[in-house]
Amino acid sequence: MSLLQRLYAPQAQEPGKGRLASAILLTVLAAIAILVPLLNLTVPADSAFHVPTYLVSLLGKYLCFAMLALSIDLIWGFCGILSLGHGAFFALGGYAMGMYMMRQIGDRGVYGNAELPDFMVFLNWKELPWYWYGFDFFPFAVVMALFVPGLLAFVFGWLTFRSRVSGVYLSIITQAMTYALMLAFFRNDMGFGGNNGLTDFKDLLGFDLQSDNTRAVLLASTCVALAGCYLMCRAIVASKLGRLIAAIRDDEARVRFLGYRVENFKLFVFVLSAMIAGLAGALYVPQVGIINPGEFAPANSIEAVIWVAIGGRGTLYGAIAGGVLVNYAKTVLTGVIPEVWLFALGGMFIAVTLFFPKGLVGSLPAAIDWVKRRIGKRNPPASSPLAEEPGQ
Amino acid sequence: MSLRQWMRGGALRFLMVFWALAVLVPHSGASAAEDLGTLVTELGAASLSKKQAVVDRMVATGAPEVVPILEALVGRDLYTRKSDGVVVIGQKTSGGKLLLTDPLTGSEVGTVGSREVKRIKTNNRLRSSVKAVMGTLTLMSPDPQRRLEAADGLLKSSDQAMLPLIETALAKEADAAVKNALQLAKASIKLQSGSAEERLAAVQSLADRTDPESRVMLSRLLLKDGDVWREPDETVRETAGETLASMERRLEMWRTVEHLYQGISLGSVLLLAAMGLAITFGVMGVINMAHGEMVMLGAYTTFVIQEAFRSLAPGLFDWSLAVALPAAFLVSALVGIAMERGCIRFLYGRPLETLLATWGISLVLQQTVRSIFGPTNREVGAPEWMQGAMESVAGITLTYNRLWIILFSFCVLGAVLLVMKKTAFGLQMRAVTQNREMARAMGIPTGRVDAMTFGLGSGIAGIAGVALSQIDNVSPNLGQAYIVDSFMVVVFGGVGNLWGAFAGAMSLGIVNKLLEPWAGAVLGKILVLVAIILFIQKRPRGLFALRGRAVES
Amino acid sequence: MGKLTKWKSALAATAFGLAATAGMGAAQAADTIKVGILHSLSGTMAISETTLKDAMLMLIDEQNKKGGLLGMKLEPVVVDPASDWPLFAEKARELISKDGVSVTFGCWTSVSRKSVLPVFEELNGMLFYPVQYEGEESSRNVFYTGAAPNQQAVPAVDYLLGEEGGEAKRIVLLGTDYVYPRTTNKILRSYLNAKGIADADIMENYTPFGHSDWQTIVAQVKEFASQGKKTAVVSTINGDANVPFYKELANQGIKAEDIPVVAFSVGEEELAGLDAGPLVGHLAAWNYFMSVDTPENDAFIKAWHAFIKDEKRVTNDPMEAHYIGFKMWVQAVEQAGTTDVDAVRQAMYGQTVKNLTGGVAVMNTNHHLSKPVLIGEILEDGQFEIVSATDDVVVGDAWSDFIPESAKLTADWTYPWVCGNCEKPRF
Repeated sequence: MSLLQRLYAPQAQEPGKGRLASAILLTVLAAIAILVPLLNLTVPADSAFHVPTYLVSLLGKYLCFAMLALSIDLIWGFCGILSLGHGAFFALGGYAMGMYMMRQIGDRGVYGNAELPDFMVFLNWKELPWYWYGFDFFPFAVVMALFVPGLLAFVFGWLTFRSRVSGVYLSIITQAMTYALMLAFFRNDMGFGGNNGLTDFKDLLGFDLQSDNTRAVLLASTCVALAGCYLMCRAIVASKLGRLIAAIRDDEARVRFLGYRVENFKLFVFVLSAMIAGLAGALYVPQVGIINPGEFAPANSIEAVIWVAIGGRGTLYGAIAGGVLVNYAKTVLTGVIPEVWLFALGGMFIAVTLFFPKGLVGSLPAAIDWVKRRIGKRNPPASSPLAEEPGQ
Repeated sequence: MSLRQWMRGGALRFLMVFWALAVLVPHSGASAAEDLGTLVTELGAASLSKKQAVVDRMVATGAPEVVPILEALVGRDLYTRKSDGVVVIGQKTSGGKLLLTDPLTGSEVGTVGSREVKRIKTNNRLRSSVKAVMGTLTLMSPDPQRRLEAADGLLKSSDQAMLPLIETALAKEADAAVKNALQLAKASIKLQSGSAEERLAAVQSLADRTDPESRVMLSRLLLKDGDVWREPDETVRETAGETLASMERRLEMWRTVEHLYQGISLGSVLLLAAMGLAITFGVMGVINMAHGEMVMLGAYTTFVIQEAFRSLAPGLFDWSLAVALPAAFLVSALVGIAMERGCIRFLYGRPLETLLATWGISLVLQQTVRSIFGPTNREVGAPEWMQGAMESVAGITLTYNRLWIILFSFCVLGAVLLVMKKTAFGLQMRAVTQNREMARAMGIPTGRVDAMTFGLGSGIAGIAGVALSQIDNVSPNLGQAYIVDSFMVVVFGGVGNLWGAFAGAMSLGIVNKLLEPWAGAVLGKILVLVAIILFIQKRPRGLFALRGRAVES
Repeated sequence: MGKLTKWKSALAATAFGLAATAGMGAAQAADTIKVGILHSLSGTMAISETTLKDAMLMLIDEQNKKGGLLGMKLEPVVVDPASDWPLFAEKARELISKDGVSVTFGCWTSVSRKSVLPVFEELNGMLFYPVQYEGEESSRNVFYTGAAPNQQAVPAVDYLLGEEGGEAKRIVLLGTDYVYPRTTNKILRSYLNAKGIADADIMENYTPFGHSDWQTIVAQVKEFASQGKKTAVVSTINGDANVPFYKELANQGIKAEDIPVVAFSVGEEELAGLDAGPLVGHLAAWNYFMSVDTPENDAFIKAWHAFIKDEKRVTNDPMEAHYIGFKMWVQAVEQAGTTDVDAVRQAMYGQTVKNLTGGVAVMNTNHHLSKPVLIGEILEDGQFEIVSATDDVVVGDAWSDFIPESAKLTADWTYPWVCGNCEKPRF
């Protein structure tokens, strides 16, 4: 087996494991959803228990990234599809929500035009392009935030899986996809605000985006959405379908010979994953206040893959932890050591790869085993030692 | 030989200049020769808009000293001394100071710091007209380059008074380029001030050309000022229109050639950037995200080597790239080998992580370079032989630096193919690629081969950096700009195949450049990317798919 | 195995230690005034923005040597938004809420400014934005110390059309595809039309960021110029793309005397990255050039070289903008006697600082500066020679007169207007 094939060899854990982790994750999410807004809104600012507002929006942002990581783990960890273009689905979801909020601005833009967003007034556009129709209606925007990424994933996946493009070729053309979309959205003629993207949002469903209440609700909704997506993914990977998907990952040809339409299953997971990413994007935009073509940059997608790997591929909860962890590290490092933080981040990527092959969280069970053995020296080793993967 | 030496060369030359100046005298309208000294002082004090008049009066004096003064003015070497307001010519000395000479006598008057003198300002308009005036003075220079500049100056001024001078020069001229320029100048003068027949003849004399200058001349005839045609004669207008149309037709073909050239040149840049990747990614299966940084290291090596040349041997600067090539190869190859031995080696058992680790390495390398060299662009100069362009071919431009890069990329491709096909190392490398276990069983030291292969791929990226430093920014972000394109080339061409990389790079480059004129740069690129995505559906393993067991397993 | 685990525990310990220190974050020191510096130190914009971070550190250092401000030392808080636009917003929030900075100097690109704008408005912070930009904006919480289009683009085109600049009759507008070039070119097109240049004589072209292959476009420019009318190029090409653009210009033999290129984003810093020899005579329009010979500028350059410990480093226009902005802020704080944002804002209006190029910069009530406009020609050593300068300072215009929707708007943050984009006063 060549190196190329090994690259896509299975590495995930068995899906049945990790009940404890799920319980912990859901508890933490519930705690964040309830406690953080409570501590932010009700506790006075000078109290030690007060959670400052910037932390609320920061947490919201991390959780959106975690949801993106979750969507990548679903296809990468369980179906063996390494997508280097998932940022595209995330950004498309974000644009859908951004377009809704742009329409909500109404005549409060700088030029006071009730019909057109500022950047269109400015480019001398006379009327709203057809693809902006419907976005003043919230449910439509939400549906679009799921539908557009899903549609793109469907078309892309339908073409690709049917012609059996796989492995590295698939990864690189997903990169081509997000790169092409980035270039396209950069164009001002596209009608999505060009390089500046969509910004200057005022409110969502009539609630002021700058108020603490709205922020708290957004954070809570993100927690709920993330928990929901997690449970859904977990249910899928634990089901019969999940086993089939894992089988495809492990030996696609054999599953095909058994009579399954492999491409249909792959397509289903791919589209689902894209929709989760789209939802993450839709939640992300109101919390950071801007969506622009930079989100399509191939580097962003690669970074999202790295979150998954850092947390632990094929565990779902590991991906979520990885998304939060890496972004937290980024926040801290860019503030504390702004001049050299890339050394720290880059070093972290290298170190985790070399020393924690299953990712930080993915290595935890083994680490716990190891600690148990170290302390008690009673139990025989339950799993193989950490760094020594069986050679393939 | 500087102009001044030439001027002092003999009485004959002096007379020649004087004759040329004499032609000018009635034109500029000054009756009595003024004192050059006063005029020079006046030139120093005049505002930008008044300088033209002063220059005209200086020329009118007919004094031979005018030439070096005007030359200094155009070359921005004419200063006023702040202490006493005297106008001087300044030449930079090695110590960053200025050696001052008196413009009238040529005698040295001391050395000063650059803040003690004030440059006499010129602008494009003034320089252009002074150059035109000087054209009359240097048309007989023995240096063909000078004569060419002089002829260009004459074309710009298109002054009727110059016609006899041009005729004399044309009769004697042997150099084809100068002759060409002189004929243009002659046609231009005729078009502007000749009779209707002469104008018609001038239009016809341009019929064989396609260069931009003659097209400018002809299209000028077809312009209207308000309701009045610039060219009163209808026959001349019609002929000019027809000539122009036939020029355009011929040009259309040449433009396709130009686009092809641009495409090949873009393709060769892509090829250089992707070739190293084709080895590390294609042959070894390592998704080397730090590949772009290897290119960047090569470019920075070039910068360091050039700095060394600038301070140690400025005279040999044109050779700096020759030294930079092996140096860049070595630096990038060593870093590559260190990467392989220190990190990637441990990941062969689970190579999926190479993407992660090399991404980390790329961040670290970028930041390292940023810390050492600073975040700003660094200047990498071009040697003499890479500057400029071949212009003569029917009005299209083939730039030398691109030409060299095309040749260079082909040479590198050839060399790498030789290494792969004809050396023992190449054989081992291919063996390890095709079947690692079997190769190891046959006694090939796979570990060493891996390191060497990675070193080779990185080294090639390094020399790509030398080439890219000639056309792009040398900054810590250099590598990032090429990484996505490089992956596209390798995947499009077919992983693990150098010919695939070649075909991929060339087709992407050419298609991109053929699309660009009508689709625009952005849309062209998007179309190319979509085309790649669709193409991969048709041929899921690229243009040149590897066949054999390695693929099936 | 044993060795490996030790490594791991060491690593984990470092990681936790790092996180712990970070969590404690900036220990509050009450006896300093904090100044936020929000410039990218990594990513694509690091090329331009790092210099501004250093310039700010120098200015703060100088002020501290003079005894600080209001009896307190100034404390710079540097963060790295990493050329990532949402991260700009996050870092801005962190600077204001967590670090409690009194003022922030930062941003370069328009999108980064747009991204932090809501944050500064929500938290009532104060931002000094030092880069020439497209206008069409006036926020209560931002002071724009760079040039507005009427302080750069319009005078430059005037020069090209005028006798001195060669009386251009055809204009090529080349730009990177983003809002600054789009706006500037929109303003210029309508300005050129007003000057009698028809649309047929204007060529407009946009390229993506970091565009590196200019062969086709330069050839097109040559073609456009060969139609018998004097042609000039107005370039709003951004940062990275400039070096390959100029290299291609030089190699295709376009001389300044034939087709002059006037650029709005090319300064000393950009030219330091290439051999300026073949570019001699091409133009740039700015409010500041390093080559200006005034005592203030000499002192500034000397201080800069001493601070950065490199004689070769250049100064540029955005650095002067930060210089003016910082001095004004210091004066306003002294006048107000507090760093409170509302009080300082009121004190900012009418504040004057001597330009490094001579003359006096004034902060207007539309939050834009009055500055002189200079047009310089590129010299061989990468410096500029000034060939034209406005007689007097030009008042920065937030809303361009050449865009119909914008011409009717006024920005004035004093009574009775108190508005950034109103057609009539609020009070």
